[in-house]
Amino acid sequence: MSATMAPPKGLEFLPVLEKNLGGRVTAREGLAADVPTLVTDAASLHETARFLRDDPAAAYDLFLDLASADLSRLPGAQAPKTGERFQANYILYSTKRNAHLRLKVNLPEKEPSVPTLTDVWPAANWFEREAWDLMGIDFKGHPNQKRLLTHGGFVGHALRKDYDAKQRWLCTEEDLLQTELAAQTDEPSDMFETTTLNFGPSQPATHGTLRIVMRLDGETIVAAESECGYLHRCFEKMSEAHTYSQVFPYTDRLNYCSPMLNNNGYARAIESLLGVTPPPRALAVRTILGEFSRVMDHLVCLAANLVDIGGLTNFWYAYQPREEIYSLLEACSGARLTVSYGRIGGLAKDVPGNFVPWCREIIKGTRERISDVETLVTRNKIVWNRFRGTGVVTKEQALAWGFTGPCLRASGVPFDLRKDQPYEWYGEVDFDVPVMTEGDNYARYLVRVEEMKQSLRIIEQILDKLPGGPVRSDDYRVILPPKEMVYNEMEALIYHFKLVFEGVKVPPGEIYSATEGANGELGFSVISDGSGFPYRLKVRPPCFPLFAAFEKIIKGGMVSDAVATLGLLNIIAGELDR
Amino acid sequence: MAARVVTLKVPETTWAESIYLVEIVKGLARTLGHFLKNLTNMKGLPTIQYPEMLRKYSGRFRGRHILKKREDDTLKCVACYMCETACPAECIHIEAGEHPVLAYEKYPTVFEIDLLRCVYCGYCVDACPKDAIWMTRDYELSFFDRKSAVLGIPELTEKPSDTSQGGPGYGYRPYEGESPMKKAGQFEPSGLPLLPALLERGVAINRMPPPPPKPPAPSASPAAKG
Repeated sequence: MSATMAPPKGLEFLPVLEKNLGGRVTAREGLAADVPTLVTDAASLHETARFLRDDPAAAYDLFLDLASADLSRLPGAQAPKTGERFQANYILYSTKRNAHLRLKVNLPEKEPSVPTLTDVWPAANWFEREAWDLMGIDFKGHPNQKRLLTHGGFVGHALRKDYDAKQRWLCTEEDLLQTELAAQTDEPSDMFETTTLNFGPSQPATHGTLRIVMRLDGETIVAAESECGYLHRCFEKMSEAHTYSQVFPYTDRLNYCSPMLNNNGYARAIESLLGVTPPPRALAVRTILGEFSRVMDHLVCLAANLVDIGGLTNFWYAYQPREEIYSLLEACSGARLTVSYGRIGGLAKDVPGNFVPWCREIIKGTRERISDVETLVTRNKIVWNRFRGTGVVTKEQALAWGFTGPCLRASGVPFDLRKDQPYEWYGEVDFDVPVMTEGDNYARYLVRVEEMKQSLRIIEQILDKLPGGPVRSDDYRVILPPKEMVYNEMEALIYHFKLVFEGVKVPPGEIYSATEGANGELGFSVISDGSGFPYRLKVRPPCFPLFAAFEKIIKGGMVSDAVATLGLLNIIAGELDR
Repeated sequence: MAARVVTLKVPETTWAESIYLVEIVKGLARTLGHFLKNLTNMKGLPTIQYPEMLRKYSGRFRGRHILKKREDDTLKCVACYMCETACPAECIHIEAGEHPVLAYEKYPTVFEIDLLRCVYCGYCVDACPKDAIWMTRDYELSFFDRKSAVLGIPELTEKPSDTSQGGPGYGYRPYEGESPMKKAGQFEPSGLPLLPALLERGVAINRMPPPPPKPPAPSASPAAKG
């Protein structure tokens, strides 16, 4: 871009950056719905990253995602230049300017390598490990570059397009990834004997398949290393072999505590790429059921966590509204957990006739049960002793580690996509975003309780003005026509056949679309090549940076506090491992 | 109409809270309230005594599939492979044959659904252009071996027991819960009346076997059992 032209909106710092780096950074035009993109090369990546973080006009303080891609099979104009094949897309966010940015680096086919950004944003650590594991991009200077989602016996990089997905690799006991601290046996001379404790992956308190190896000095954790990947289901690789609409059942299983929010996030990403807007009633129902899912997610998080620290009664109270919400979801979609209710361009079906009074009844019951939990917990001294001052994450740490969602807000950053970049119906309703500055477990607990109450408020307001009309778009190139038309009209039947056999034809392009999931920013990076199948689909799971930071949070604390912290960070293995 | 940031404060500890006892009594009062409420209203308990009782599901429930039949008792399916293509789990296998009735053209000689692969997403129902595949509310699907989990045409064909009294009933199917459209392409919000009583959804179906008939009753009609 020449210096005379005005920089694109949101990239006002670009002329300074170009001057500093001598034209090695360029802005790239993309879809209007997409985030702004800067392209740089591997040699100047580190300098660019530092500028983007430190310059007050840029101030990208949050590292959100690293979406790697193998472009070798892209056709036509999208095809990479000769010799180039891979791509690293860093998604950044500025909490001060409320702006996203994609930093793109094109990489050669042979030995793709970029300098690590872990020293600029510590959150990059696990994202880079994942990109190395699945795409084979080498990060020079990475402190701990080893496989993350696959096991040590795995050969090759699974998300490369030439990887044969039918291969099977046996994981023997020697191939189990040994953590460094488990292997290290020599003790410092001034220390008492320490013990290595293997926590998980089948420990009940991990609520899933998480593994943490701790080195203990008595009850105190001197060092810890967390490991994930036990629930890896190849979501991203599977998506490439399924049509856009067939991915919905897979998204149900990402964060299985709030499946509707995943449906919403994925549908929004593809709809933005298509330029399709669902009818207002569909968006309203998505918001309502999404907020109910958020309540459900927080209830599960709190209930399970309180069981871990010994308060079983809350479990029964908190799970009761969850059952009711599941019944509502079942009446709308046909399944209690694996809802698959979203469709590109709307919803599968309209809600049942008694939807509004039913919702109101659930809201009433949920408020009672939340009040039960609050009576038992919020001002209970035993809980205070367990929660207050444990698992403390400061504001600076939370930003550096890439936290989003309730855990970031509990540390004092009022970042909520529903407020900052309203989508669906969030711009039309009145609600509070609770923020606390303590950053400890108690703050995370209080923020979650308050968020549930605000979610119920949002639902009530939308129920008051729930619009009528259809819930499915009438653009039959993206959504199946109504059955009556399919049975009787030739044209509709042709649309129907084309959609089922070829999938939704999404125009070539690229998008990063984010929604506020129950645990934080749920982002979908999609690259489309114009066919009915996603060329590359990368999920930004909100839990991922939380669990990556877990080993640092619990260091110096007690084992029992580590359990309380793990519960309140709310790590969901389904979206962590994908 | 906007979102506001609200900073929450950690509540101050009062003297009463610091001595444990008051808060514990408050908590006990709340649990005791629940206990008494449940004791006096056993029928209102949210717990369902599965397997003696069964949860009541909506007419959209996605359970075991059935193949619908035409009035002349032949399968509606024309083996067009739409459901097989739409299935994200690749659990449907169809082989087509030529139908002796000329108007029907094709029919499935093999129609298998592997229920161990199936994710019950209902995409096959959405994809069917002939209204030939529906789902039921039957979700108690357990098998002793993998082979018996692969249902063929005889098992999938709709049986009277699917909808009879005590049967699972229809689940996910086109237009369930929506009023039929007056004109193709014109949508209406569902105008269904409220469920007979909102309370009913929580009421479970009692499926304890009826008490055995008294011994001297040889004349009982065997057809009474549905």
